[in-house]
Amino acid sequence: MSPGPARRLVPSYLATGGVGAPEHSRFEELTALQATGRSALPHHTPAHQRLLNLVSDGGLTVMEIAGYLRLPVGVVKMLAAQLVSDGHLRAAAPLPDALAPAINAGRPDKALLEEVMHGLLAL
Amino acid sequence: MGSSPSSAPVYLPDSNQERVKVLVAGPFGIGKTTMIRTLSEIPSLHTEEVMTDAAAHVDELAVPDKKTTTVAIDFGRLTIAQGRIVLYLFGTPGQRRFKPLWSDYARGALGALVIVDTRRLADSFEVIDLIEESGLDYAVAVNQFPESPEYDEETLRLKLDVEDHTPLVICDARDWDSSLNALRALSAHLVSRAGGSL
Ligand SMILES: Nc1nc2c(ncn2[C@@H]2O[C@H](COP(=O)(O)OP(=O)(O)O)[C@@H](O)[C@H]2O)c(=O)[nH]1
Ligand SMILES: [Mg+2]
Repeated sequence: MSPGPARRLVPSYLATGGVGAPEHSRFEELTALQATGRSALPHHTPAHQRLLNLVSDGGLTVMEIAGYLRLPVGVVKMLAAQLVSDGHLRAAAPLPDALAPAINAGRPDKALLEEVMHGLLAL
Repeated sequence: MGSSPSSAPVYLPDSNQERVKVLVAGPFGIGKTTMIRTLSEIPSLHTEEVMTDAAAHVDELAVPDKKTTTVAIDFGRLTIAQGRIVLYLFGTPGQRRFKPLWSDYARGALGALVIVDTRRLADSFEVIDLIEESGLDYAVAVNQFPESPEYDEETLRLKLDVEDHTPLVICDARDWDSSLNALRALSAHLVSRAGGSL
């Protein structure tokens, strides 16, 4: 008899080694992450290592990493924050700084929207 | 499926890109996942987010003795403009009980494609309201199922209560050209909205 929904093997707060890095809030779901190639440190948990392995050969967004690793987006952000501050991951914001404020203020940048439109027409 | 941990990840293009998202929204069974799979260059993935409280008092999704529910968001990816832009398509459930998640869905989104079915137009009202409340511009894709009645555009606009400038396109989410056409209609609309008086 199943007692209810299956739980994650590693609780969120343990996956991060008990450390919730406060700066994880600057990671967005579409922030791209790629490993820098440094080998893992003793305080890196298996979850940190799975993340590093996943992006050792190329970049993926936080959202995609969450999908591949089957972890909630918030947990991936915390893991990533630690790995970036340890120098094991490089992070790239979804948009260059010049575009980001316009998007977050509600109205996307017109030049970007035009590029999307032309890009879709060219497919 | 695509989300199996053993499946090899499809990496982002090497070049610097801008990564943006568009919502594909609508009630269950309307064709969100189908459209995302049709358009995505990667096997579609999903994340599961835990939503606290809001679902506790409602229906089938809520576990009776728990105050949380899990919401699966599926998404896909489409690279355009010679790799300079990567578009993410996020399948977003339209029920008002997911309202707590909507500020996250909407944040940073360029716009939304709302899928409707003429057999059950009212099922899409909640999601249209949520999108309007979040301030996103949107287009409507009418997915045609075998039993779906056909309305002329004017009737459909009236029934959905959408404004004249909101694009309304007939769509088959299983078909690449048709799905792409719906996305193009949305993106042209977003350009025109960005250009107008704000
Ligand atoms: N005829 C037709 N069937 C569709 C269309 N889009 C989706 N379907 C079917 O509708 C069912 C539900 O679609 P799905 O994408 O899972 O809906 P979701 O719950 O919104 O993600 C599936 O069996 C699809 O094959 C469409 O445009 N036309
Ligand atoms: Mg679905």
